[in-house]
Amino acid sequence: MIDVRALKKSFKSVTALNGISFTARNGEVTGLIGPNGAGKTTALRIIYTVMKPDSGAVYIDDMDAGLEQMAVRRRLGVLPDSLGLYPRLTAREHIRYYGRLHGMGGQGLESRIDGLSNQLGMDEFIDRRAKGFSKGQTRKVTLARALVHEPQNLLLDEPTNGLDIGSSLAVHDLIRDIRDDGRCVLFCSHIMSEVAKVCDRIIIIAGGQIAGAGTIDELMEQTGKQNLEDLFLTLTGERGA
Amino acid sequence: MWQRILIVLGKEIVDNARDRRSLLTALIYPLLGPLLLGLMISATGRVTVGGDPSGMNLAVAGAEHGQVLVGWLEGRGVNVVPPPTDIKGSVQRGDMPVVLVLPPGFDDDFAADRTADISIVVDSSRLSAVVVINQVASLLSQFNTESWGERMIARGVDFRSLQPVSIETVKVSSGSQISEIFLLMVPPLFIFNLFMGGAYLAMDTTSGERERGSLEPLLINPVERWVLVVGKFLATLFYTGIAVVVQLIALKIAFGFGGDHALSLGNALGFTVVLGILVVTLPLMAAAVGVQFVIATVTKSFKEAQTYLGLLPLVPAIPGMLLVFAPVQIQGWMMAVPTFSQTLLLGQLLRGETISVVHLAISAGTTLALAAVLVTIASRLYDREALIFGG
Repeated sequence: MIDVRALKKSFKSVTALNGISFTARNGEVTGLIGPNGAGKTTALRIIYTVMKPDSGAVYIDDMDAGLEQMAVRRRLGVLPDSLGLYPRLTAREHIRYYGRLHGMGGQGLESRIDGLSNQLGMDEFIDRRAKGFSKGQTRKVTLARALVHEPQNLLLDEPTNGLDIGSSLAVHDLIRDIRDDGRCVLFCSHIMSEVAKVCDRIIIIAGGQIAGAGTIDELMEQTGKQNLEDLFLTLTGERGA
Repeated sequence: MWQRILIVLGKEIVDNARDRRSLLTALIYPLLGPLLLGLMISATGRVTVGGDPSGMNLAVAGAEHGQVLVGWLEGRGVNVVPPPTDIKGSVQRGDMPVVLVLPPGFDDDFAADRTADISIVVDSSRLSAVVVINQVASLLSQFNTESWGERMIARGVDFRSLQPVSIETVKVSSGSQISEIFLLMVPPLFIFNLFMGGAYLAMDTTSGERERGSLEPLLINPVERWVLVVGKFLATLFYTGIAVVVQLIALKIAFGFGGDHALSLGNALGFTVVLGILVVTLPLMAAAVGVQFVIATVTKSFKEAQTYLGLLPLVPAIPGMLLVFAPVQIQGWMMAVPTFSQTLLLGQLLRGETISVVHLAISAGTTLALAAVLVTIASRLYDREALIFGG
């Protein structure tokens, strides 16, 4: 479970987050959406502990992310915005490196890598070096290394960006499996239809604040909009009601 | 904790072993310097050393007129060869350093105890010919003295009474002084390459990691940032070590280029000296990697890091280069100056002197302290958000 409480963060004169609070529960896929520059990435970076908030706190499974960084990181699987790979390592070596940094090893790790490779359709390039990987292949490797330690909480920043339809569907299935396993998924995207399809609840963030939260139905009722795009634009204030 | 450090270390070593640029900086640069030095030693050796005329080729025109002299020269191991058709032109062009011309009647004049004329064709503006010219002049003067002595004896005079001074030149200066200069050039060259060896890796694992976007995901792993820095630091140290070892081997080979003559430096790098060099330079390797890490981390891009790290090796090499021209008396405080202390200690080792344990301890202590400070600074830098996200 991810519990975000009154986060504030400024960069010089720019306020990125102005007191946002929300909860992403276990056994649910929570969508975090918002226009460019709304503060999504900043919020995620604070949640996954590489950035510190000016005030407020994040609790992962009731642990303070600011105080118990290592314990929190062990319970997080993150697909961040930056997808850098090491061009001279193979896909398998990437996943193995992260698995070992999480304290895994031996046969357990190797069969876990094989399982992920199979699940994400990576068998064909798993032992190839990352130099020259397509965007889709790169995303699969980064997704696999985020999942290798079977994290209790999963943070995904646009996980299907650059993937073809088949691969996107495979990722959607994977997310549902993780949810059905009782784990927590925070899913960031700017594709409204995908969010509506995959997420159980949606949090809309705009101008560093929460602009709306609830299920699709609740949000439609709240705004009186039946069209997802209209609903989004109304809540984020990009188009008046 | 050590396990995580080893994981990072192993990954960086494997990753960079597959990189041609990392290997190039770790292996090729350390080979180039000693190779050039070796060629210089070999070339200088040929120009300046050579007291022994045996095996030397000497063109003699009119050899048939001067059997006595030719026989005497051959008796000293000189190969008398036929002259070129265009004697002056050939000497001017440098095809022949010197040609001896014996006029007809040389043997007759000699047999009749008259002064026989000979001429030597040389181009004294040609540096490479100077040694040969000197050798020929010295041989002829020897012939002169011997013949003259024989004639005096034939007349019942002990010629030694007419020769108050017998000059024998013992050649120690040319060879050993020049090799001394070469030995002085080794420490700055060595330290230059030491700062070069891991430079590419230092950049690739710091600013390179940030630039390709792999730093942020790496930092999300349950590993302290200093552990990542230490792992990367040790990997860079490993490559610097490889460069140092390669360089030592290259120097050993280069010193052999001097051959058997007085310039030979082959003995300057015995087993104990090599071991001493490693002990003296290991702390410096750590400090060098520390500086590289801090620079590569604070610079905003890989390119910027490349510019600074490319110039960096020159700085610690400067004191050593100055020492080639103005050697100093070693004093205790000098041992507290990293790179300078190593320059001096390396010089002592190469000259076969015993180094003081106190000096070694001061040098290693101060340099390791500097390395520790630099690694701490680099670790702290990774706690700065602006640095990670390039703000």
